[in-house]
Amino acid sequence: MNTSADFERRQRFERLVTALHGVLYRYAAWLSRDPGIAEVVVQESLLRAWKSLDSLRDDDAAKQWLLTIVRRENARYFEKKSPNMIDIDELSPSQSAMIADTGERDVDELREAIYELDDDYREPLVLQVLMGYSTREIADHMGIRPGAVLTRLHRARLKLKAAIDASGVRIAARDSG
Amino acid sequence: MNCEEYREAIAGDPTEFFPGGAEHSSGCEECSSYRQELRALDECIARALAIDVPALRMPELPAIDAADNVVGIGSAPARPSSRITSLPVWAGLAAAVAVVALLFTGGPDGATDTQQLVREIIAHMDHEQSSRQVTSVPVSDRTLDTVVDPEVSAMDPDIGLITYAMSCVINGHTVPHLVVQGEQGPITLILLPDEEVGEAIPLSGDNVHGVLLPVGSGSIAVIGQREEQLGEIGEVGRRLSETVEWNI
Repeated sequence: MNTSADFERRQRFERLVTALHGVLYRYAAWLSRDPGIAEVVVQESLLRAWKSLDSLRDDDAAKQWLLTIVRRENARYFEKKSPNMIDIDELSPSQSAMIADTGERDVDELREAIYELDDDYREPLVLQVLMGYSTREIADHMGIRPGAVLTRLHRARLKLKAAIDASGVRIAARDSG
Repeated sequence: MNCEEYREAIAGDPTEFFPGGAEHSSGCEECSSYRQELRALDECIARALAIDVPALRMPELPAIDAADNVVGIGSAPARPSSRITSLPVWAGLAAAVAVVALLFTGGPDGATDTQQLVREIIAHMDHEQSSRQVTSVPVSDRTLDTVVDPEVSAMDPDIGLITYAMSCVINGHTVPHLVVQGEQGPITLILLPDEEVGEAIPLSGDNVHGVLLPVGSGSIAVIGQREEQLGEIGEVGRRLSETVEWNI
């Protein structure tokens, strides 16, 4: 590849990554429930993305493309383990940092409740609420039926609502439209 | 749509973009209130999910021709045959003694190109500080197999708990960068099949204490963060020297 083409490729990659790094990291962090692992997964994902950047025809699809790479890298990372079982009372410092107090009780309670959700419930919630994915997009991304997505989202919210209710914390409607 | 169906649907998609949703909530005060409650919950969920994001660390991006071959760097232009089989035990022990002595006394200056390699390794350590975490989570075999391409190099998988494996570019070559958990902290291993050095060279910098060891027609960098790790680094270096093979 000549110097000019290489420069343009790097510029394109850096532009995409700079814009999307935040969502990639948060997605990786909520998948792995460990900021340290999330950083490793994102780094590995960026390297893979760089290698196959030419397969991304439309930069508007970069978010979905990169999130798919992050999902695969996370799966590779946990290939031989069962990340579902995390004892919230025995978290590593890195894991604990993820649910550290923010000073807002409702947010803290919810963050801990989300942290404890099973992967099957947590991931579609992250994709819908944080990434703005539609039900169809979540289904495609996770390789499940749209009906299954809605069921998981429904159950996830009920679990979170139950956790908040049990904590006695009241969520103030800030922008309930 | 009845209330039960509405509540199930709204909990799946609080935006209410589902058939019959708006019609139902406009005529049902309880469900309308339930919708408001879920939207407030969602707003709070969004803030709970928005954890702090660390500064972007752009990985070292290999030149694209090299990148195409990261997994199969063995397919790079052939070098003279340099397959190394395990070295005799006495050689390993001698190397260990030499390494430890070198680490504590400092070593001779290398040639200019070797010094360039040393600078790149130390700069790379600064760049990838997050790789050196104390953790008990191993990398997957698949990741390890991808990073340590068997067509290029092989190493004893029992070297220790490998918790990080990444293909990195150092001195223009894409090489395996591993981290193994030592008794006194993480130890970085960088396998450099293309970098021949004449003798062991100490590596020293901020939080960098280690050695670049000659292994056949290549070399390996073994690096800790603290001076107290030098003894263990010597031992790991010895074991790696004995077991690593270049298959190119």
